[in-house]
Amino acid sequence: MSIFGSSGFGTGGTGVFGSTAADSHNPMKDIEVTSPPDDSISCLAFSPPSLPGNFLIGGSWANDVRCWEVQDNGQTVPKAQQMHTGPVLDACWSDDGSKVFTASCDKTAKMWDLNSNQAMQIAQHDGPIKAIHWIKAPNYSCIMTGSWDKTLKFWDTRSPNPMMSLQMPERCYCADVVYPMAVVATAERGLIVYQLENQPSEFRRIDSPLKHQHRCVAIFKDKQNKPTGFALGSIEGRVAIHYINPPNPAKDNFTFKCHRSNGTNTTTPQDIYAVNAISFHPVHGTLATVGSDGRFSFWDKDARTKLKTSEQLDQPITACCFNHNGNIFAYASSYDWSKGHEYYNPQKKNYIFLRNAAEELKPRNKK
Amino acid sequence: MAEGGDVEWELSKENIQPLRRGRAISALHQALSQQQDGPNSVINQQRQAFESELRIYDGDDPLDVWDRYIKWTEQTFPQGGKESNLITLLEQVVTRFTEEKKYHNDPRYVDLWIKFAENCPEPLDIYRYMQTQGIGVTQASFYIAWSDEYENQGNCLKADLVYQEGLKKCAEPCDKLLQFHKALQARVSRQVMMNVEEDDSDDEHKQPERVSLANLKHRGKKKAIVPVNRTGAAIKSVSGGLPSRGAPVHGSTSNSRLLIFDENKTQSAGPSEPKLEVWMAPPTSRTKENEQRSEKWCDVKVPLKSKFGHTVMAPPPVKPTFQPFVESDQPPTMTPCKINPTVNTVLTARKPCREETPLKRLQEHHQQQKETESGKPQEQSMYCKELLLSGATEFCFEELRAERYFKKLVHESQEEVKDQKDQASASVSN
Repeated sequence: MSIFGSSGFGTGGTGVFGSTAADSHNPMKDIEVTSPPDDSISCLAFSPPSLPGNFLIGGSWANDVRCWEVQDNGQTVPKAQQMHTGPVLDACWSDDGSKVFTASCDKTAKMWDLNSNQAMQIAQHDGPIKAIHWIKAPNYSCIMTGSWDKTLKFWDTRSPNPMMSLQMPERCYCADVVYPMAVVATAERGLIVYQLENQPSEFRRIDSPLKHQHRCVAIFKDKQNKPTGFALGSIEGRVAIHYINPPNPAKDNFTFKCHRSNGTNTTTPQDIYAVNAISFHPVHGTLATVGSDGRFSFWDKDARTKLKTSEQLDQPITACCFNHNGNIFAYASSYDWSKGHEYYNPQKKNYIFLRNAAEELKPRNKK
Repeated sequence: MAEGGDVEWELSKENIQPLRRGRAISALHQALSQQQDGPNSVINQQRQAFESELRIYDGDDPLDVWDRYIKWTEQTFPQGGKESNLITLLEQVVTRFTEEKKYHNDPRYVDLWIKFAENCPEPLDIYRYMQTQGIGVTQASFYIAWSDEYENQGNCLKADLVYQEGLKKCAEPCDKLLQFHKALQARVSRQVMMNVEEDDSDDEHKQPERVSLANLKHRGKKKAIVPVNRTGAAIKSVSGGLPSRGAPVHGSTSNSRLLIFDENKTQSAGPSEPKLEVWMAPPTSRTKENEQRSEKWCDVKVPLKSKFGHTVMAPPPVKPTFQPFVESDQPPTMTPCKINPTVNTVLTARKPCREETPLKRLQEHHQQQKETESGKPQEQSMYCKELLLSGATEFCFEELRAERYFKKLVHESQEEVKDQKDQASASVSN
């Protein structure tokens, strides 16, 4: 891939191999991605296996989405950038790695062709688009967009009109797609599963296993690599693991607390933080959660144990993702607006960190 | 007068809840015609605008936003009901500003409390609570509404006492208070007269009847004077229903529960003015039986909640997971229990505050502050709950941030337009 020169990237080039001083912006001493966005990072996504190498895209509240190449030695090279007319809320790759789809507050979604570095609008909603996913089915391919206008629309990128539009009970807050399953979590604790074979249709509405606002969702697969359930994170430090058709729902489905402080100390109140994102390791099936408390944690859902919790960063962690083979874990440190406008400091730098994930996410017990 | 628009109103008459101040007919027409529209109707946009305003507002008078939002809701949803979220909004505004002394006697705030009370099963509790908190105590509307409630429940004595209290506190506007007070007294006396005219055997209490053609015991030793035995309506003077100023007559005190107000009578009969009880916690306001609102469940912070990491998915339904309201100096069960528990053990006294209520949350707020001193484990949400859960719907962090972003955009574009105008006018003047 050639380097696309674009404005606003500052001095790109060599990456920083972690900081030697243990300052709180990078307590885990992970690799800092160069030229991070200028405002809060809303989403991160690594390129699919069809693309050689590792490319990371990140959308931000500075209305831009950036692409970096992550080299094997850990260096990150800024590659290209695209703009929306509003903050970017979500982004995803096509399955062949040639296109990046971005969704924004400006109520549009764009398709960014990386080879030509051109972006064109492919979707339109009546409200900001919160979630965007690429669907690759045997008989069709399309983009799924979930918006705050309470609709879920499916777009063939060649037509300005959606191929399908499904009404939801409430605004889309987060979604995930692993063919043939899609899960959407909405406001007012709504939870809908869609099946995508032949054409997308609503499969089931589920009573939320959580008592608080839904914040993030991620589908996991079984040993046969078929999607079998999802992890749902809420705004109050809890994640629910939910199987679609478990043999024993009462036993198989469970929730666990996370991103809380003062666990054993009963004299001070326990602080509860929002779970901002969940990602599953593509190989091990273990999961990572990142929260408002500025920590990330790794969990083994089958052994029901925590594998690791990081040190606390000085900012919330807003997004995370694994690369296609699970060797790299990327997480973004920026303000998630959890405390409203007063705590926003536009001068504070935002970071994306990369961590070697091959060892730490190995499951606890081999079944 | 049957124009196209008017006919519509006529057809839905029974669906329109009356408002005390009446409805603007234009708003009514608009509301009725737009009820059918889809999600992007004007109504939804207006509502969204209010919801954002609630969260973004930076000024000194946040009550104003709530007030306008609620008034708009009333006008726009004539049939009331769940869709309007009116009750949710009333609860929220009432709870939110309960600590703000500056609003306690703001007529808008007091009106909102009154609307809220009217939507509760026990408005009297609400009014009493208001009094102890000092909300509305210098507003005539408060006493008027409170007295109305007593009157509706048939307790005209209390209704009158409320007015007296209001007069004592010099509630404003004073003449309105007097006017309503007089109207109450007129109603009461008319009521009494009507009651007496009806068949008295229906009455629970015995009305002293003047026995006709009976021997009257004469009074007086020297001269036999026919005793005066006036009962019922004859006691009162006929003019305008104002009470008689005479000394109490025999038997009047054992009259029906409508005790005739007499200014000069010492108020030994009946309870004195409402005691300013020390309310540790306000009373229940509503029984919300079928509404499941997750946010409120977890607002409930009580020692019962497991603190050792057990996954408590949902509290067992049998035990109340919140502290039942305990009024100081009184036994825990406060709802009137007409069934003697020793006799009938089937029905136990209904525990108060069974469901989450907004006043319940107020109570928890007070109690939480006490609990933190007692060292019980608390949980603290590290996000701006108030901002998210404000208004009738919830927001997520991103929506909050997006609202501010859009507001800034609008502001900036307005600035631009202004600048352009300035430039244009500047160039013209040159």
